[in-house]
Amino acid sequence: MEQFLGGLSILMQWQNLLVIPLGLAIGIVVGAIPGLTSDLGIILCIPLTYGMDPTMAILMLLAIYCGGTYGGSITAILINTPGTSANAATLFDGYPMTVKGQAFKALQMALFASTIGGLISAFALLFLAPLIAKITLLFGPAEYFALAVFGLSVIAGVSNNSIFKGLIGACIGLFMATVGVDNISGTARFIFGQRKLMAGIDLIIALIGMFAISEILMKSKYNPKTDHKSISASAITKDKITKDEYRRCWKPIGLGSLIGVIIGATPGTGGGLAAFISYNQTKQSSKHPETFGHGEIEGVAASESANNGACGATMIPMLTLGVPGDGATAILMGAFMLHGMVPGPTLFAEQGNILYAIMLGLIVVNVFMYIIGSGFTRFYAHITRLPYEILAPIVMTFCIAGAYSTNNRVYDIFIILIFGIVAYFLRRMDFQLVPILLGIVLGPLAEKNFRRAMVISEGSFKIFFTRPISCAFILIAVGSVLLFAWKNYKSRSAKAK
Amino acid sequence: MKLRYNTEIISGAVFAVVGAVLWLLIPSQIQTMEKGAVNAQTLPRIAIGGMFIFAIGLLLEGLFAREKKELVITADSFRSGAFKKELRSIVYCLFLVAYCLIIQPLGFVVSTVLLVLAVMLYYGARKWYYYAIPLAMVGIVYYVFKVLLHVSLP
Repeated sequence: MEQFLGGLSILMQWQNLLVIPLGLAIGIVVGAIPGLTSDLGIILCIPLTYGMDPTMAILMLLAIYCGGTYGGSITAILINTPGTSANAATLFDGYPMTVKGQAFKALQMALFASTIGGLISAFALLFLAPLIAKITLLFGPAEYFALAVFGLSVIAGVSNNSIFKGLIGACIGLFMATVGVDNISGTARFIFGQRKLMAGIDLIIALIGMFAISEILMKSKYNPKTDHKSISASAITKDKITKDEYRRCWKPIGLGSLIGVIIGATPGTGGGLAAFISYNQTKQSSKHPETFGHGEIEGVAASESANNGACGATMIPMLTLGVPGDGATAILMGAFMLHGMVPGPTLFAEQGNILYAIMLGLIVVNVFMYIIGSGFTRFYAHITRLPYEILAPIVMTFCIAGAYSTNNRVYDIFIILIFGIVAYFLRRMDFQLVPILLGIVLGPLAEKNFRRAMVISEGSFKIFFTRPISCAFILIAVGSVLLFAWKNYKSRSAKAK
Repeated sequence: MKLRYNTEIISGAVFAVVGAVLWLLIPSQIQTMEKGAVNAQTLPRIAIGGMFIFAIGLLLEGLFAREKKELVITADSFRSGAFKKELRSIVYCLFLVAYCLIIQPLGFVVSTVLLVLAVMLYYGARKWYYYAIPLAMVGIVYYVFKVLLHVSLP
């Protein structure tokens, strides 16, 4: 209770309340621009948070995350292109509503459902995370290592259809995490005579290179004449949601929020999957499933409540176990670390006040999101009209300034370019970048605790299997990799037939 | 020349080579004084060894279990639209490499303005205000970082 009240008083400081709408505005705009994602928005804004205190910085980035997840629905509804992968299911009914002249109504429902989903998710985070954190205080090095292995097993779920590509990605990430001076022995590793690499590869530099620069390179084939889609502002009418439609949508929103929380709290899943499951469940349980896919407002409610319902829940494993559930939370975890907070079992004990401020802040983020969203719905059509040839140099300018400001050296601009080119090659080869990110984030945790556990056990691997929690994590990790591999094999066999 | 390939074969082969080279570099790049079985080389060995083994797995998957595309390389291939598109990506990369080389002598503002102009021309932007927005953004970013955040830019 003391930490709860402490958190509340931190949250109520004016500067913390001020950065929330700012972050939301950035997130919604970034999410609403096709080609920019909330992940990219978070990465580009991390350098802007260097001078902020940790609560303020994380609240701003969280607001970008939530705003971006909602903002992605705007383009899904208006121009049939989801702003983020989490909004893909919103396409099914959102765009048909626009075609029917109900774009304003669809945008309003997306906002309403996103807000309710986000609020339920924020309350789940607030009440569940401290309970899980109490259990995790029992962890020793063996459990921490097993936890990191479990976290790395998330790659199975985010590797698309090739487990080998995911595993190679994780190995690349683990390798990159070892570059620099080893903290335990002081040995330099893979620095190739470059003194600037002694401190290792900065996480933010790796993020900017891998996500932002590679995205710019992926879009290098963009043709302004054929690839740009936009909608005229006049297409958004003032047709509002009726009372009957609100009443019909309560069930899909409730179900979607619940699915979002459960899926979001499961590492390796994320809002996109939650939205598809929710959409499917709502369609199956509907009395008129034939209307889905043809501009059914319940479809928009189901998918948007689920993807925002996952936002807060993905923070549960990240804050309590130090296991990021998806790409955005992996980036947020990096931001926590940059601000001196290491997510995991000890975080609640060491910085409980700040954590409560952040968790309570998530509730405020969702309330502000509704207010800002309501006021700017008509403005969204203009955002989608921004051509990519204008956006590309702007994003690049932010990347360069962000990379340079990390350590005040031009060297880092070279590093983001190298990371960008490597990530571009990987993406062209159908690799996902999240496994690499997980490797970079979880590598140091895995290595430090593996070596400590081995010292405690005098070199015996038995320590990981004789301790029940550690053994359970390792078994779950192995089980989930095998399960995903089996599912991939089955789906490929089915396709081949 | 006729080639049958898929992304698994290409990436599997690339990472098998990268893994093998990095494995051979471990003794020279990690000169540890630790005597125990678990030392500074352990995690890099696991990561690099894993990379090599999984790359071989990916290569075999690509060779035997995945559909392959067919590429016939002739003189006309180098004049095709697909090749020109690939060339555009390389030109884009060269812009960025050139930028890295000029940023130190010319400074952030001048070099970034040149990069912005190059990118805009690359995309074929014709309207003057298309140029004005990103160019103004260079000034805004410089102001925000230098004046508001007190972060020095080159």
